[in-house]
Amino acid sequence: MSFDEEMKNALKTFTLESLELLQDMEEHLLNLEDDEAPAERINAIFRAAHTIKGSSGVFGLTHIVAFTHVVESVLDELRGGRIGVGSELVAALLPCCDHITLLVRNVVDGRTEEDAALTAEGKQLLDELNAFTQAAPADKAVTEFKCPREQLQKLENDSVKDGNWHLSLRFGADSFRDGMDPLSFVSYLRTLGDIVQLVTICQALPPADEMDPETCYLGFEIELKSSAGKAEIEGVFEFVRESSIIRILPYGSGIGEFIELIDELPENLSYLGEILVAAGAITRHELDDALHHQQNKMQTAREQGNAEAEAAVPALGEILVKYQAVSEPVLNAALEKQKQVKEKKNQEAQSIRVDAERLDKLIDLIGELVIAGAGVNLRSRLFADEGLKEMTGETMRLIEEVRDGALQLRMVPIGTTFSRFQRVVRDVSKELGKGIDLIVTGGDTEVDKSVVEKIGDPLMHLVRNAMDHGIETADVRLACGKPARGSLTLKAYHSSGSIVIEVSDDGGGLNRERILAKAVERGLIQAHDVLSDHEVYALIFEPGFSTAQTVSNLSGRGVGMDVVKRNVTALRGNIEVDSRLGAGTTMRIHLPLTLAIIDGFLVGVGKATFVIPLDRVIECVALPEDAGEREYMDLRGEVLPLVWLSQVFDVESHQQRRHNVVVVEHAGNKAGFVVDRLQGEFQTVIKPLGKLFTYIKGVAGSTILGDGKVALIVDVPTLFEFCERANRHAEHALPAPSHAS
Amino acid sequence: MTAMAKTHEGLPVTPSSVSADGGQYLTFVLGGEVYALGILNIKEIIAYGDLTEVPMMPAFVRGVINLRGSVVPVIDLLARFGKGCTSIAKRTGIVIVETSSEADDNQDIGIVVDAVNEVVDIGRREIEPPPSFGAGIRPDFISGMAKRNGKFVILLNNARVLSVDEMTALSGMSHGVPAGE
Repeated sequence: MSFDEEMKNALKTFTLESLELLQDMEEHLLNLEDDEAPAERINAIFRAAHTIKGSSGVFGLTHIVAFTHVVESVLDELRGGRIGVGSELVAALLPCCDHITLLVRNVVDGRTEEDAALTAEGKQLLDELNAFTQAAPADKAVTEFKCPREQLQKLENDSVKDGNWHLSLRFGADSFRDGMDPLSFVSYLRTLGDIVQLVTICQALPPADEMDPETCYLGFEIELKSSAGKAEIEGVFEFVRESSIIRILPYGSGIGEFIELIDELPENLSYLGEILVAAGAITRHELDDALHHQQNKMQTAREQGNAEAEAAVPALGEILVKYQAVSEPVLNAALEKQKQVKEKKNQEAQSIRVDAERLDKLIDLIGELVIAGAGVNLRSRLFADEGLKEMTGETMRLIEEVRDGALQLRMVPIGTTFSRFQRVVRDVSKELGKGIDLIVTGGDTEVDKSVVEKIGDPLMHLVRNAMDHGIETADVRLACGKPARGSLTLKAYHSSGSIVIEVSDDGGGLNRERILAKAVERGLIQAHDVLSDHEVYALIFEPGFSTAQTVSNLSGRGVGMDVVKRNVTALRGNIEVDSRLGAGTTMRIHLPLTLAIIDGFLVGVGKATFVIPLDRVIECVALPEDAGEREYMDLRGEVLPLVWLSQVFDVESHQQRRHNVVVVEHAGNKAGFVVDRLQGEFQTVIKPLGKLFTYIKGVAGSTILGDGKVALIVDVPTLFEFCERANRHAEHALPAPSHAS
Repeated sequence: MTAMAKTHEGLPVTPSSVSADGGQYLTFVLGGEVYALGILNIKEIIAYGDLTEVPMMPAFVRGVINLRGSVVPVIDLLARFGKGCTSIAKRTGIVIVETSSEADDNQDIGIVVDAVNEVVDIGRREIEPPPSFGAGIRPDFISGMAKRNGKFVILLNNARVLSVDEMTALSGMSHGVPAGE
């Protein structure tokens, strides 16, 4: 691989990762205001900006570096607590995030050079952003580390002040004999800072007659105000360290700083003790002591052969706290950090990026394997070999498991699609001047990647529609006794082998009367027609249908709902509407979990075999003998229009009698497909027919049967459409030209 | 990768009106005439069988077959040339050809032939430019005429004859009502 190619690949990785980071950044920004403890989010946002800046620098994308640098410094201010979190700041940061996305996308498109127009745009965004850093008043500055500090002050003593050290000294009994005078240490401490408070602990002093004047019984609790680091202070006691107990604890904001430091540590320091050492919360000596202690205990426990005792050996953290080497909040922060590092490592180990194409190829191959396996299975039945049958049966089972596993690989949580709408709802509600909250549930519901990719647009239509037409303005809502803020719910869940996505609002609901009036006006129905609620609501999916009184730039032009419907149908799904006037509307989309596999019902017509999607099939009945070649039949008192598949698909059917009818349903309409044979259910991999068959009606694709033959999959919606049109042609007695060239 | 007889880089040759280059050609019989196709795009030759008819398609689309797991459309060239349908006999075979459409995705297409003859070397000098009429098929389908053993062999212009775009458009025009009505 040449250097250029390598760079190209690296650049691809950079853009891919940057876009992911930007997506995370956007999500964090959107949730920033609602987060009670935003520190973690701010850090994540900062890290994202920082990483993008750094990587852009590597590729010499100076314009991205320049822009991101300013954003990063603002974020740094935010992180340092010097400016507060606010909706204005978020509103200013979001477009910056978009701008970086735009810049990165330009790189994806191969435009690595600076674009003057974009730079000017960026400049404007930065000016807006800079207003925050300059205007940030000093008293607003404490938002960030207030929380930990408050907790600490409760935990420690109220009297302590920032930047102080607390020293617990217990001099060893032999200190005097070793020539060490505690007083000289205390005096020496003065050179490092001011001793604010000094308490002499003399509880260890025995009664006067037992006291050995050469033995030191003294202890001190010293509050030291010093800018010196812990190691430096500990250095003071270097000579008595062996024999004495010396604990040095930071106080007040000192701990805040430690927590901050621990958060900022490079993540490869996963060892708790190392974290504390690196943060300066404990020194190497203390760590070694603690480790030694732990080991000792462990050893004693092992020597005694007592597993329970071994388990009871206190964890390193506990030991450290017990020996007062670190105070609990600092330790907790370190433990948290350790956990994060671990989790991150786990996540990295758990997911790998795979080229979608390779995955598709694998699934294709497994599809072939299933078909080949079915063929072998079929063949094996021709032989009276029980062992062979058993083995092929077992192989089939394994193959099917492999197939299910492979399909599972394509499953992704729908949450990524949902999170996109946070931004949409935020922007649109602002544009509309309505307060709307988005509630997302079931974001971890998994669905095939291809479904996720294709459902975004229809969902977007529904969400915008709900916000524009569904949810009323605040004053109307208040007048109806509803909360001023509207809420929009996106919900996903699995239900009987399909995924259901609901978009519901608590707005005004659909106005049945108005829809009816409009439908009559447009000639879709007759004024005297009696329709069920379901049928009325289905009218909104008619092309060009809109009851909105005002057309906004979001929706209301009557384009959209029919497109939504078409898109959902194209995914082999359906959509239904639930609505209560004044209480809101729910749009419910049912989609198959995967587009690659279909549960089909096999039917035979003449020599041909067709697959009808099982979710369309309602029941199968025998065609009454007296039905002849009629176009309808009586299904328990209902008129069931019949479609003779042999005619529609131009297949020679030799069978004269005993036809079967498969009752199928689409969009509330039922029809009966007349076939020769019913061959049962069949789960199969869908094979697209290819470009040549673009214009074909009534066939959705093909599949390969166990015997290697290709069977066509009936596309119920287009076949319905086709029959309706053919019928209309017949009515108008217009023989349609059929030019088979 | 399936073990297909990929001959070259798999790139379709697209000479439109200029006469064909010399090289290896597969000759086959179709409706009594001998035709030849450049060997570079030919993937394999299989026996005719297990074809599934696809309804509502023009006559030149015979149907689809299962070629080791992929569904491949099969074209009746005789119908494409407007000379009726190829009747199925013992020696009938399907030549699998790789084509490319404008969308740049390669698609395999099968061609029904009465019989496959042989692979021959045809030198550039043996190739005559296509006649503007008289060959019985559209002139743009022909990339040249080669003389073999005193007889003319029609060298087919693969890109035109098997143009997926054109055939799709044709089927779009002819679909509408089922052919059976």
